[in-house]
Order: sequence, then structure tokens, then C-alpha cells
Amino acid sequence: MNVRELGERVSAAKRETLARGETFYPGPSRIHLASFPPRERWDDWADVRPDGSARRTMLVPTTCFNCESACGLLAYVDRETLQVRRFEGNPEHPGSRGRNCAKGPATLNQVTDPDRILYPLRRVGARGEGRWERVSWDEALDDLAARIRAAIVEGRPNEVMYHVGRPGEDGYTERVLAAWGVDGHNSHTNICSSGGRAGYHWWMGLDRPSPDHANADVILLVSAHLESGHYFNPHAQRVIEAKQRGAKLIVFDTRLSNTATHADWWLAPQPGSEAAILLAVANSLIRERAYDRDFVRRWWNWQEYLAHEHPDRPQTFEEFESVLAELYAEYTFERAERESGIDARALRDVARAVASAGTRLATHTWRSAAAGNLGGWQVSRTLFLLNALLGAIGTEGGTFPNAWTKFVPRPVSTPAHPETWNELTWPPEYPLAMNETSFLLPHLLEDGRGRLDVYFTRVYNPVWTNPDGFSWIDVLTDESLVGLHAALTPTWSETAFFADYVLPMGHGSERHDVHSYEQYDGQWIGFRQPVLRAARERLGEAIRDTRDVNPGEVWEENEFWIELSWRVDPDASLGIRPYFESRERPGEKLTVDEYYRHLFEHSVPGLPERAAEEGVTPLEYMRRYGAFEIRRGVGPLHEAPVPPEELDDPSIDAFGRVYTRADKQVSPNAVPLPTPDGDGEGRRPVGVVVDGVARRGFPTPSGRLEFWSRTLAEWGWPEAAVPTYLRSHVHPDSLEADQMVLISTFRVPVQIHTRSANAKWLDEIAHTNPLWLHPRDAERIGVRTGDLVRVETEIGHFVVKAWVTEGIRPGVVACSHHMGRWKLGEGGQRQAMATVALESEADHRQLRRRRGVAPFESADPDTKRIWWSDVGVHQNLTFPVHPDPVSGMHCWHQAVRVRRAGPGDAYGDVVVDAARSREVYRRWRELARPAPAVSPDGTRRPYWLLRPLKPSREAYRLPETVAR
Amino acid sequence: MSGPAADERFDLRDLLSPEDAPRRWVKVIDQTKCIGCHACTTACKSENEVPLGVTRTYVKAVDVGTFPQANRAFQVTRCNQCEDAPCVAACPTSAMYRRPDGIVDFDKSVCIGCKACMAACPYDAIFINPDDHSAEKCNFCSHRIDAGLEPACVVVCPVEAILVGDLGDPSSRAAELVNREAVAVRRPEKETRPKLFYRGAHQATLDPLAARRPKGGLYMWSEQGEGVGSGSPAAWNTSAAALLSYDVPHKAPWDWRVSLYTWTKGVAAGVYLVAAVLALAGLLAWESDVWRFAVPVLAGAFLAATGGILIADLEHPKRFWMIFTRPQWRSWLTRGAFVIGAYSAVLALHLFAGVLGSSAPQRWLAAAGIPLAALTAVYTGYLFAQAKARDLWQSPLLPPHLLVQAALVGSAVLLLLGEAGEALRWTLAAAALAHVVFTLGEITLTHPTAHAHLAVRELTRGRYATPFWAGLVLAAAAIAAPWAGAAVVAPALVGLLLHEHAYVQSGQAVPLA
Repeated sequence: MNVRELGERVSAAKRETLARGETFYPGPSRIHLASFPPRERWDDWADVRPDGSARRTMLVPTTCFNCESACGLLAYVDRETLQVRRFEGNPEHPGSRGRNCAKGPATLNQVTDPDRILYPLRRVGARGEGRWERVSWDEALDDLAARIRAAIVEGRPNEVMYHVGRPGEDGYTERVLAAWGVDGHNSHTNICSSGGRAGYHWWMGLDRPSPDHANADVILLVSAHLESGHYFNPHAQRVIEAKQRGAKLIVFDTRLSNTATHADWWLAPQPGSEAAILLAVANSLIRERAYDRDFVRRWWNWQEYLAHEHPDRPQTFEEFESVLAELYAEYTFERAERESGIDARALRDVARAVASAGTRLATHTWRSAAAGNLGGWQVSRTLFLLNALLGAIGTEGGTFPNAWTKFVPRPVSTPAHPETWNELTWPPEYPLAMNETSFLLPHLLEDGRGRLDVYFTRVYNPVWTNPDGFSWIDVLTDESLVGLHAALTPTWSETAFFADYVLPMGHGSERHDVHSYEQYDGQWIGFRQPVLRAARERLGEAIRDTRDVNPGEVWEENEFWIELSWRVDPDASLGIRPYFESRERPGEKLTVDEYYRHLFEHSVPGLPERAAEEGVTPLEYMRRYGAFEIRRGVGPLHEAPVPPEELDDPSIDAFGRVYTRADKQVSPNAVPLPTPDGDGEGRRPVGVVVDGVARRGFPTPSGRLEFWSRTLAEWGWPEAAVPTYLRSHVHPDSLEADQMVLISTFRVPVQIHTRSANAKWLDEIAHTNPLWLHPRDAERIGVRTGDLVRVETEIGHFVVKAWVTEGIRPGVVACSHHMGRWKLGEGGQRQAMATVALESEADHRQLRRRRGVAPFESADPDTKRIWWSDVGVHQNLTFPVHPDPVSGMHCWHQAVRVRRAGPGDAYGDVVVDAARSREVYRRWRELARPAPAVSPDGTRRPYWLLRPLKPSREAYRLPETVAR
Repeated sequence: MSGPAADERFDLRDLLSPEDAPRRWVKVIDQTKCIGCHACTTACKSENEVPLGVTRTYVKAVDVGTFPQANRAFQVTRCNQCEDAPCVAACPTSAMYRRPDGIVDFDKSVCIGCKACMAACPYDAIFINPDDHSAEKCNFCSHRIDAGLEPACVVVCPVEAILVGDLGDPSSRAAELVNREAVAVRRPEKETRPKLFYRGAHQATLDPLAARRPKGGLYMWSEQGEGVGSGSPAAWNTSAAALLSYDVPHKAPWDWRVSLYTWTKGVAAGVYLVAAVLALAGLLAWESDVWRFAVPVLAGAFLAATGGILIADLEHPKRFWMIFTRPQWRSWLTRGAFVIGAYSAVLALHLFAGVLGSSAPQRWLAAAGIPLAALTAVYTGYLFAQAKARDLWQSPLLPPHLLVQAALVGSAVLLLLGEAGEALRWTLAAAALAHVVFTLGEITLTHPTAHAHLAVRELTRGRYATPFWAGLVLAAAAIAAPWAGAAVVAPALVGLLLHEHAYVQSGQAVPLA
């Protein structure tokens, strides 16, 4: 259609838009051009194409489902063909503000990917053999439901497990598992952020930081937040905004990340020394009295600390300050220099910058060093110590606890949490683990601690992503350990190859989810929706099932879980069905429309009013705009006084913790919070007395910021009860003379784990993972860029190409995450997966690369233009499990030997000794202090700590003898 | 009720300022903000439906410095929207054109796919789309601008590092940056007056030769791919450490067909030119069969081959006639086409007159034929020079050298016919000697630019050294023509073909982006 013939064609420019009384979205250039068409025309916009033609287009919001940032997207849906033509950002989204990273537009590739899975598949032959038959959803559902029902009825609830990678949603699936009464939630968190989380959790009871980058004067990142991580695009926007305003940026990263390129101070420390540097900065703040004394006095639990640790000394704040100074006196800049290799003068400059920030210090770490090192959880803890010293918590430009800037709308009904404890996810060795010890699952199964009858993996690829992937293959191919494996995934993964059912679930534009992430000083919710469903509903169709609009028979989990739950409990005899029944039409299934209608009408403050202003229902509002900002400027919630009506017969303990008998108000915000214990007399904690006023405080046992953790002290870790420096397993003293440290986790800005390999535009930009090494090391080893090197870990080796760069510390090598994808035969992701052969004999495991990728014929002419062939090497297979004894985090860094490849080595070779991997597992397990040995109260875990799907209190009790 | 971002920037002045006033669009890439995330790259692919293997915009990366004082510099790399756009001047059909608002845009419906624009662009910003076989590049998303929308890359950028604005409107952010900040353009020495400005760009990225191109076929997370990568494999021009760490594969626009065309065209021009000059000098009879029939047939055949090769080299061969129906007269491709056309007409008339048995009209026709043949030989020098990107080809000696080459291959071919042997042998020897002198001059003279240096390096010591030296030796053998006779014809012809190939390809072997 020619533009001139298209009567509806109007300009999005400012004057014309405003003259029509429509919304003008100003773009970054701040000129008359709009960044997006006016929202009044999102139903029917003449979308002008490069050739001058125009398409009648509907703009439908959804949420990107690549990384966790959950940036808004607008799908451009062709009104005539009802196809998604492209994705842009969503200007109504308060976190991403209309902008995206490379992965946002590339969502289109994922939707049109010629290799995507379109129909439910069931394996034929042995597991992993690679032969599949198409089955109906009914067959798959009935099979799964029967097994789940049997497990529940026969008292084997722990044999049902749901293992999730990227959740991308808040609360929906946990509610399903709770309704089933299984303690079957397993996450990826212990290979990701548990280390980071733990450090924050011990301080404030909440496990995530929410830095207010935009308003900070100094930003300190122990991460690569301008290019990856949580929350890449939303945070990058705000960090750069602050920098343009004059804020200083400090970046810790051993390799030269894109983030480091913007740093005023780029510190590339010896891996594992980060906490030593942070403590040196803290020490200088303390020594120079550059900290906020009043804040420390009011909000730290120093009294509790003195009382327990220094009962003989005067119990005064001044005395505490002396103790504090003594405690950290040893952390001099010179010592930090020795540990980190960074010039003490540079560290002094950094300390001065931090001191200058006052309450405008935004700090952030999430994975990085906290995920790399034994004791890495002290990295986030020592980082947050700087905020705690400066009082930069909950302040403008400071760092917030995430729960304050996150909103999880309470769903239609909330089942009680399970009455069972799953030792396959929460083994007794790790009572303080922040999350499920997910990566140990194969070892725990091989220990004989249990079996799984129904194992769901969902957007999770442990065979590839987790350490020691061969142990996953071993377990997944053993039907006595895993009865049935169903992979819920939109695309092929190494793990899906070892499934019994591969059940296709939609991409970001093909599914419902609601979510909220802490990206600035505000609260918002985002709505992910099947955009073609929304589009067709706008055109007047009634859609009852997302499969009716998705490609092939691709479904979405929301509806899948409802359907599956009904089949598990068709007659409601197990008490499961009621949670999935319509309230509006009793006896019928809950629909996603009803679920979200309830959520948006009852649990999102301000949304009904806003929707009413627009003359639409809250659900229609969310379907139309995709996001809603609940509040902005949350401020220091800990300072809020406890309202008198909540102080019913209060009691106050020796350190000011306030307890009440008043019932807890049910908040519409169901964000997970810890549950500090009551006073033992029936009162619940409600606040803490600070300077004579009962204030909200923090959700810790003390109600304050816990400089000293009574929990850690009582649960076997007294030496780590305060922020301190723990020596990493890759500390130079622990390395042999010929060993180096391998950083295996660094991410590139255009890929996201194994989720983005189905995006051709991203693969074209980044498709391989050479080993970064410093010229000095390259010379010593005798290799140049492109040469093959053999990297030897504790349990095996891999052969990869070298990339010789000044962007890494000598003595350290780095190999990016994301790459090294593989497939066994023809099935799989042909643009990003090399074809390999797996060999397994006794304890010998080997992966041999047979060929890289090549152009191929498909419906997309671009697949014939694939010009790259190298897709990298799968390094994670060669990493043994390294569970941190406290946080449970897998400590990713590896001590390795790097040699020039020998004549017998071929590119992509991966060799592992399974016996040694078991041995390393056992050695690291010895570091743990198991609950039966350390639990002060006969429970498995401190009840107050956060835990997904927190079981009933009864389930917390340790059995008389713990199965080992 | 409008959204959170919608109304906060409302400004009454914008209502009053005419939105349809003439504009001078500029873009600013703020490298002080750019995080190298490639959002612009994929947003552009999405908006403009750009296939794999080609790109309108991408983010080049250069690692500079030495640990721990190292850094990475980014450059969002794309069309520079030149005020004096070489691609527009070079385009024979005005498929590349400059809009009144300054945007250099393109019309795919009239692109013949000659790649002259690509050869001309000093920024290597133009490519042939493999789907529609037409040239394209960044055009500021002109279709979006016309619809009142900012370009796709501007909208997607997480850090607002890409701005579009009107130089005529000093209040626009882009104009403010251009007017107030230290901005740079790429390759100002090309005198193209780019309207794409970089704030805070690093010299190591602005200059395509400043960084070392890593050997080993890799960048930091990708393969290098085939072609002319940025950076320099050997002769990078900075003393500071600078290593190219990301680039896209670049391809030379003109392949063997252009080398071959230069050669066939040389024969077509040279045969007639040498014969006519010998005839004028009385060394070849006007009535000889060689002049009457062999010359027009041979010249015509080689000219037809030339035309055939030229058309075969077009991505849209069926559109070749557009050169004649919508000629863009500044283009030397257009001018050359008309010269060749006129020369073909002269040759046809010449042959027609010969068939009629009349030699007088042939003599008169020579008055037009000689200059047209000479122009046929030398216009390629101007065509190559119009490829502003290729410093090697900016040589003032190129037109006379092409004339010498025409004489060389022309006399060589004529020598096979047996007439005027002595004169032709000496002509061939003289032309071969002149060619050798010209060539040695070319490679020994100091060239004014680093790009020309690198091209000569590729010619004499690099990728094209073998064809170059073989070609030179073979052509030099023709100096022995007075004594060796027809035995040197084959070496002379092959030698020149090798020379053309080496010269055409090495001229394009220099990275531009």
C-alpha cells in the first residue's frame, strides 16, 4: 500500500500530534520528532517502511524475556497478516523507558527462528538418543498428571521437582507448587547470585541491592553493569545519566569489560581480593572518621554485637567505634595492594572518592566476584559495609533494599506452603544456603539421597550452564534416578536433548507473566503477554487459549500449569483444584484473564484509578500499556515510625526490637520478606526503637542493619559473623606455581546465557569465546591470537583458541560465558550449535567437536548467509562443583594450567574424569558445617531467612537422624 | 492523560516553530556515553530489514593502552551523510541522491548495482543488499523522519548516545553539541564534509589504520570473516598500543570483472588507436584489410566484451539502460558509458563503410574515432579517481598510464595480424617500456597518504605481490618485441591482465572503516 493511499497516515511529530490532542513521546534528541507513535493510535498506526510503503499496524506491549531486566517491548503487529513485524521499546515502561539493548529488537529472531520447537515432542528410543515423535498436549498432560498425582498420593511429594532458570515472573509458579504441596522448587540461583545475595541478606534481611544510580555522586560497581547483568539496560541508562552529571564511576573487574571503559577508576584485582580492597576502603573511612557516625549509631546492631562479642568492654557507641577501628586496622591499602596487585595509591584515590559520596553512594554487585570465589558472599557484604558506613541506604543516590522498590501483586488465592522438606534441594550440609543447592543435584542423586519421578526443567539448561555437565548427563540418562524429565522450553537446549518430553513454551511475546524489578527509586509492575492474543482481542475476537495465537502448538506456562493441576486433581479430592478454579464461574477452570484481572483490580494500588481515567479496566490498561508505575521516590522506609495501631501490647527487647500482638496487615505487595522470630510470647516483630521512636527498621532479627550476624555466629560461623575477608580458593597462596585463575563467567553485551543463541543478529555479532590472556602469559606459553591452548582444570581440560589482550591481569585468563553450544545430531539450533560426539567409558567423559556451523536452507533466506563457523567451546563441563559452605553458591573461578595445545588436541575437545569430579564434590562438602552439627535449635535452617516456597515450621525440624 | 515520559518536555516554542521548514539534519554519536552494546546494530537490522553479512551500522571496538592502563574505545560506524557525498557524485543513475534536507538517501528502484558508490565512499558505509541487489546504507531512517519519528538507533540506545538534530535549529541537542563541544568527523581530508559528528571519539577508532588488526582470524568474541577488516595487519600508524577488538567483515566492491573490463577495454581502445596513429603516420595503409576490417571487428569485439563484462558486473544487469535514460552527468560511469557508446557507433560506422568498400569515410571517422578511443582508454582513470575512497587510484599519472596500457595491448594484438610488423614491434616495445616506467614510478614514488602506502604495500609486498610482479615481468618482456616479435604478445597481454587485477584489488585492500 502506498503511503499516499493510506488515509490513516498521520505524523508522529510534535506539533501535529499535540494539535490532534494526542500523546507526544519526546525522543533523546529533544526535537520535534517523536520516539514512538502516539499511544492513542496504537490500535491502528500506518507504519511507514523503508521503501516508503506503509503497513496498518497494531502496537502491542509485552516484556523482553532475554535477561532478567524485563525491559518493555512494543510488538508491531501487522493488522492484515497478524504477524509480528518487529519489536521496539515501550515508552510506557518506567524501568526501560522505551529503550533496549541489542537483545530487545532481536526478540523477533527468536519468534521467527526456523529451528524453534513448535509441537510437543516425546522421545523415541533411549533418553538422549535424539529421536522424537510429535504428541498431543493431551497425551503429555495426562502422562505428567498421572505421575504427579501418584507421587502426591503415595507420599512421595519430593519426587516432583520444577527447576527454573530465568523465572521472568513473580510468584506464579511458586503458587502452583505450593498448591500441589510439594517442596519441589529448584532454581539456578546458586550458580548465579547466591553469593551476592547472601552478603546483602546478612546485612538487611533482604537479598538484593537496588542502587539509585541516577542520583548518585559515586557509583561503585563490582560488576559489569553497563553491558550485562541485572539490570543491564535500565541501570546503564541511569549510570551514564549520573556520569554525564558529573558522578564518578569505580569499577572492579579483572578483565576489561565495556563497563570498565567508562570507569574513572578501573580496578582489575587479582580474583578473590575484592573484599580486601573494600575493607581497606572501609578502614580508611573508619580511621579518618569519614563515616556517618549518627547513622551507624542509630542503625547498626552494634549494641547486640558488643553484648555478645565484647561483654567486658563498655557498652557504648564510642567503645564500639574503637572496636570497629581495631577490627579493620589490619586492612591497610598496602595489604590490599599485596592481595589485589593494585597500586595502593590508586586504592587511596578510590577511598577518597567513596568518602566524598556521603549518602549518594550507589554500589552494586550481583555475580562477579561474589559468584567466583569461596567466601565470595563477603564481597557483597563488605561492599554494602561502605553504604552502611556512609548512611547511603534508602537515600537519594544511595542503595536500597530491593523489596522497597519491588512490587509483587498478591494473587487471587495463596495456598499454604508445603509441609515437607526436600533434601535434594536443601541438603543438611548447607543450612545457610541462600537458595537451593541446585548444581549439586546430580551428586545428591548419586549419593542415593532420593530420586525424582517428575522433573521439569524450565528455561533452564543445567547440562550446559551448570558446572560438571557430564554429571547431569549421567543422571538424566539414568531412569532409576530421574523417572521422567519434561523440558519446558521455546528452543532446543543441551538439556532438552535429554528429556522425555520437550514441551514448547512461548517466547517473550507469546506468554503471560507479571513481574517487578528494583531498577530505580520507585516501584513498578510489568506485564508480559502473548501479543497476538492481545491484538486479536482488540480486533474483537475472543481468545480462550494462548495456543490459538502462538505458532504451531506453542503454549505458555500459565495456562499449562492450570490445565496440569486440574488433571492432577480432577475431582478436587487433593485440595489442589480449588486454587485453579474460577471464582467467577465456580467449577470451571481459572483463566489467565481472570487471574490477572483479579491481580490488577485488587493488588496494584493506583492502577484501577489510572485505568478508570482512561475509561478501561485495569486488565485492559495493562494489555494496552504493558507496565504501571506504582510509586516513585520510596525513600528510607526503615525510618518510618510504626503506627500506634500496630503497637498492641508491645514488648521491647534489650536491644530495642519491638514486638506486637497486632495482626499483620495483609499488604497487596506480596514481595518475599524474611520472617524474623517473635518474642516467644506470641508477639511478632514490628519495628525497632531508634532514638526513642519505634521505627520500621529492617527485616532482620534485630530490626537493624546487622553488622554482626547472630545467626551466622550461632549457626557455626562465628569467625565470619562480621564483614570480613575470606581467602578465595583461587588465592595466589593456594595456586601451584604453574597455575592461573580462570574467570569463566564473563558475559558479552549481546548474548544471555544459552537463551539467545536462537537470535541470528546476536550470533552474528558474538559467536565464539576465545581465552583472553595477557601478552606476557601468551609469550610464556608460546601462543598467539588464534592458536589453540589447552586449559586444564581439576577434573579435565578443554581446548580453545587464544585471544591475546592487554585487557586482562597477567596470571589470569578469562573465557566468556554463552558460547560453546552443541548438538548431537541434526536436531538443534543450527546457527549456534556445533555438532559434537559424546563419549563415555567408565569414568572417562569426552566431547569431540565434529563440525562447526554452516549456512543452511530454511524459510529464512538469512540462514544461507551464515558466515561464521566457530561457535566456541563448552568450558563449563570441565568445572567441578564448588559449593560455598555458607552461601551454597557455586564458586566459579577455576585454578587452571594453560598450555599450548599438543598434537593430540583438537579445537573444542572437552575431557573430564567423572571420578575426580565426585572426589572434588566430596572435598568441598567437607568444608560445610551441617545443620545436625551446628543447628542451635534442632532446625534445618534459620527460619527467618528467605527461602523460596518456604515450608511450614514443622518441616524445619531436623529429623532424629539425618539420612546421609 | 498521558504517560510518565510523555508530557514533561512540552515546550510552547515547538508549537510555534515550523516543522516543515528546511532542515540541515546532523547526527551526533556521543562516544562519551556509548557502552558498546550494539543495540543500534540490531535495531537497525530490525527497522530496515538488513540481512546477515551486511550492516548499515555497527560498533567497532579498539582496545587501547597496556594493562592496567588499558581501555576500549567504541565507534558507532556508519554513513557520514556527507555534504559533498562521493557516492552521489559517483552514482550513474542518481539512485544515491541528496535530499533537500541534506540526507543522503537512495532509491532502490533505479539502482543498477554498479557499486561505484561503494568504491567512492571513504567510510565503507554502503553495501549491496543480497535480497534486492541494490545499494543501501544508513539514511537517517529517512522514512521514519518523514513520519515524524526519530531514527531507530536513536530511539533504542540505552544511554541516548545517538542524537539527530537540525543544524539550523541551535536549540536542538545535536546542534548544541556540534556547536559547543569538541566533536570530530572521520577522515576530514576526504573533503566530504560529513554531517555525522563524534563526540569523545578516540583517534584509534576514527582512523581505520590506527589499530593493529589481530592475526589469527579472531576478534574478542567473533571471527573476523572474509574481506578487508579494519585496522592494519602490519602498518598501523600509531606508536600507542591499539588493537582492533571488534569489527564486521568488509568486502571490496569491485572484483575480477572490473580488472578484466579494464583490460578488454584497453584492447578495444588500443587496437583502433594504434592502427589509426600508424595509418596517420603512413606506416599502415588506409586501404589495408587490417584497418578496414580487422581493427573495427577486433575493437568492436573487445568493446562488446567490455560492455558484457560491465553489465555482468551489475547487480541489476537488466537495468543497465538506466545509465542512458537517467544519466547523472557527474558520474564517470555515465560519462564512460556515453564515451563507449559513441566509440561503438564510430566502430560500427567504420565497419559499415569498410563493407561498402569505401575507405574515405573511415578516414573521416578517425577524426572522431581517435579521441573517442583515447577517451575510452583514459576515462577509467577518472572513474577510478572518482572512487574517492581509494587513495592508490588518485594518481595524476593514471590517465596517461591507461593510454600507454591501451597502446601496449593494442599493438600486441595488432602484431598478430602480420601488417606493419616493424612499426608495431617498436610501438609495443615503447609502450611496454613506458608501462614499466609508469609502474615503477607508481611504486617507488612516495605517496602522500597512509592509505596509498598501505595499498602499495599490498601491491608489492602483500596480498597482490604475486600477480603484480609476474605481470610486471611479463609486460617488461614485451620490450624485447623488436627482436622477439610475436613471441612476446602473449606475455604482454597476460602481464597487463595481471597488472590490472593487482592494481584494482590492492586499491581496494585498504580498510576504510
